[in-house]
Amino acid sequence: MVTFWDSAVTKYSKSNLWILFHTAAVLALLVNLSSGLRIATLRRPAIAQIAELLPDGRVHQLHFLGACALTAIACAYLLFRLYTLIRGGFRSLDWKNFDYHRCVIWGGCAVLAVSLASGWLLLSDTAALGSPRELHFAAALGMLLYLFFHGGSYLLQYGRRALLLILRPTRQPGGRLLASAAVATGVVLGGWHFIAGSAQHSLPVLRVSVSTPIHIDGAADETEWTSAQPLTLSTEGGANFANGNTPVTLRALHNTREIYFLISWRDPTESLTHLPLRKTENGWQVQQDGFHRFDETRYYEDKFAVLLSDACDFGAAGTAHLGRKPLDNKPANWHGHGYHYSDSDRIHDLWHWKAVRTNDMYLADDNFIGPPDIRRPGRRRYTAGYRKDGKESGSYVMNWQWYRPDTVIPKRLPRLAEQLARYESAGGDSDWVIPWFDFAPYAAENDDFPEGTLMPSVIYSSNRFEGDRADVRARARWRDGRWTLELARPLDTGSAKDVAIHTGTCLWVSAFDRAQVAHTRHNRPIRLELE
Amino acid sequence: MWRRALLLFAPPACVLLVAILHQQPPPTPVEYHLGKIDRNGEAMGAWSGPWACVCDARTGLLWEVKTDDEGIHHGDWSYSWYREDFGVPNNGDCYFEEERCDTRDLIRRSNRERLCGTDNWRLPASAELQTLLYPQAKEGAPLIDTDYFPKTRRGDYWTRDGEKPLQGVYRHLKHGAVAIDFIAGEQVTIPYRNAAFVRLVADASKACHQLRK
Ligand code: HEM
Ligand code: HEM
Repeated sequence: MVTFWDSAVTKYSKSNLWILFHTAAVLALLVNLSSGLRIATLRRPAIAQIAELLPDGRVHQLHFLGACALTAIACAYLLFRLYTLIRGGFRSLDWKNFDYHRCVIWGGCAVLAVSLASGWLLLSDTAALGSPRELHFAAALGMLLYLFFHGGSYLLQYGRRALLLILRPTRQPGGRLLASAAVATGVVLGGWHFIAGSAQHSLPVLRVSVSTPIHIDGAADETEWTSAQPLTLSTEGGANFANGNTPVTLRALHNTREIYFLISWRDPTESLTHLPLRKTENGWQVQQDGFHRFDETRYYEDKFAVLLSDACDFGAAGTAHLGRKPLDNKPANWHGHGYHYSDSDRIHDLWHWKAVRTNDMYLADDNFIGPPDIRRPGRRRYTAGYRKDGKESGSYVMNWQWYRPDTVIPKRLPRLAEQLARYESAGGDSDWVIPWFDFAPYAAENDDFPEGTLMPSVIYSSNRFEGDRADVRARARWRDGRWTLELARPLDTGSAKDVAIHTGTCLWVSAFDRAQVAHTRHNRPIRLELE
Repeated sequence: MWRRALLLFAPPACVLLVAILHQQPPPTPVEYHLGKIDRNGEAMGAWSGPWACVCDARTGLLWEVKTDDEGIHHGDWSYSWYREDFGVPNNGDCYFEEERCDTRDLIRRSNRERLCGTDNWRLPASAELQTLLYPQAKEGAPLIDTDYFPKTRRGDYWTRDGEKPLQGVYRHLKHGAVAIDFIAGEQVTIPYRNAAFVRLVADASKACHQLRK
């Protein structure tokens, strides 16, 4: 049966090559849109509303692979256009047929160009040009609109026939077509492989003699630091930082036994008020805004994390898995953002410096990211692969017998009311830490503090971590809107839970501005080059 | 045209609307053989606290939970092994007795306060204590489910099995009692005079009976 459309199609049909590239572009765009919107759920609550529709897991890899495909197609299309323009002169532009659809397509191409340009700029982690994130996000919404005004309107106008036109080859695919498809796929995968393998910042680690003392005191006054070549990169997407963004500058030294880092980042406020307790009419209450969902972004200390790995994959060595429940057979997370874990048995090292809980101990928590942990029925929070190294004795504990969002019973109370005098308001640079023996065990009859009293909730029960968790020495100072952090660790600790450091080890950094988990991130790993 | 518009835009709009309206419920606890019991003997939710005892539904035993409140259940206190007739009294370290501490002191005090509504607290048999060993413990933690048994030390915990012959360097002391070490999960026989940790157990408790039902 020959319908009108079938005969029209023979007059007005698309070449196989066109169908191939158009379909690839549609698929790549859908991949980028869905994975990009998933990334956007991290800090955009409105997008989080439709999170169930978006892909989860290692979406960064997906996004960047889609980006490579889309960029390759866009370049090929641009070249083709230029070619016809040069061959056919300006007549080939065909101004007569410049209808609604042409208009939308030109608009779409412009938005796509913005999307690609801002995407590559984002991927470069350059601090100099400001963040193109908002532009990239706006362009993504533009591409969503484009899908409706372009695809939607064709479908509205022509229905099923439009689909046949763009999907059904009119001729048998020939050898040339298959060859071009193979070449195109090769170009995209090759490009992806190249980018994934070489898109790394490089941080030279200057060699100093074993006898040169580097004091881990946050002062960074050793002259060696001025000789070390700095690397500055933009980190993004963190809570509380202006536009979620803070530039981080790193320098590194080693003396063949230990490696030293000097890291500084912008943070206008020094946040030391860590989940303080406030006395209310009904009892003591933890001051919080999100802590119940394990996503505190207000009453929290500043923190900084360094991730070290032998793998250099995008998305924090491939450990960032987004979504509420990226693993079907494991518990969901409370905030819906995702969690870190390793897809293999590989251990990634994670140093976690905390302005209140570890700074006074001159240490950073030595954690690691491994395969997802088993379900632990007694724990409300499941942290997947993010785990603590072996810890032999206590360090800090929180000053409540059991956390509840309404009221808590403290573990300990000050022996003298005056001990709380310096904590009259949240904020300030007081040390929000209490030594175990300065306070006495809680007794209801001693709890006569007036309403409004503030009390720190971090208690040091012993001065240091011991064992595996104490390998990373760290000390930071805050001055004039910047944290300056010095870190040291043996190049090889010999522990199976640590990564030995050598040339080629990849590193990532994240800053936390009074946030429990909402940290900044960058896209390209930093490759260490030991001198 | 209208039909087409409806077909084209209604399904995505519906999916979007359902996704926005349907928000995932927060996580909830799963079934587990351990259950929290408060100090009066009432069962509590898996994510509630503070709790004073744990009932193990597999064995029907009620276990004492250690604390860091410097009270009689403080996890750092240690005890020498002593029963009415034999053992070594008052050779462990705690704050709650005039003299130093032994296992009988903790039993007497726990029964007197009717910890978790019961007064038949005793030392566990080694087979009983071994049921608490938890091979999946986190790195560096004692071999027990610390989410239910916090403040457990990486050290030896007494059992009631006394009058066991001592070996090696302790041979001259002749007899001691069995302890389970929660570092490697092994059973060791050590002299009564040693200061080791204690986790008491009670059977036929009302709290555990209710929870198992
Ligand atoms: C039309 C194609 C694209 C769409 C629709 C799209 C969409 C998105 C969206 C919605 C986000 C989240 C923005 C936010 O809320 O912060 C995002 C992030 C990102 N996109 Fe794209 N994108 C596209 C192409 C590209 C390209 C070509 C690149 C280049 C490599 C790229 C690289 C990135 C990067 C680096 C991020 C940030 C990742 C992060 O924050 O962890 N995108 N994209
Ligand atoms: C693509 C990049 C990344 C994404 C999308 C991402 C995402 C996330 C998410 C959703 C969480 C919450 C998990 C939970 O609640 O258990 C989290 C936690 C965390 N992330 Fe990342 N992350 C990225 C890169 C990094 C890097 C490079 C580091 C280290 C330098 C890092 C360090 C941490 C730490 C330490 C936590 C746990 C904070 C805590 O609970 O104390 N992340 N990340």
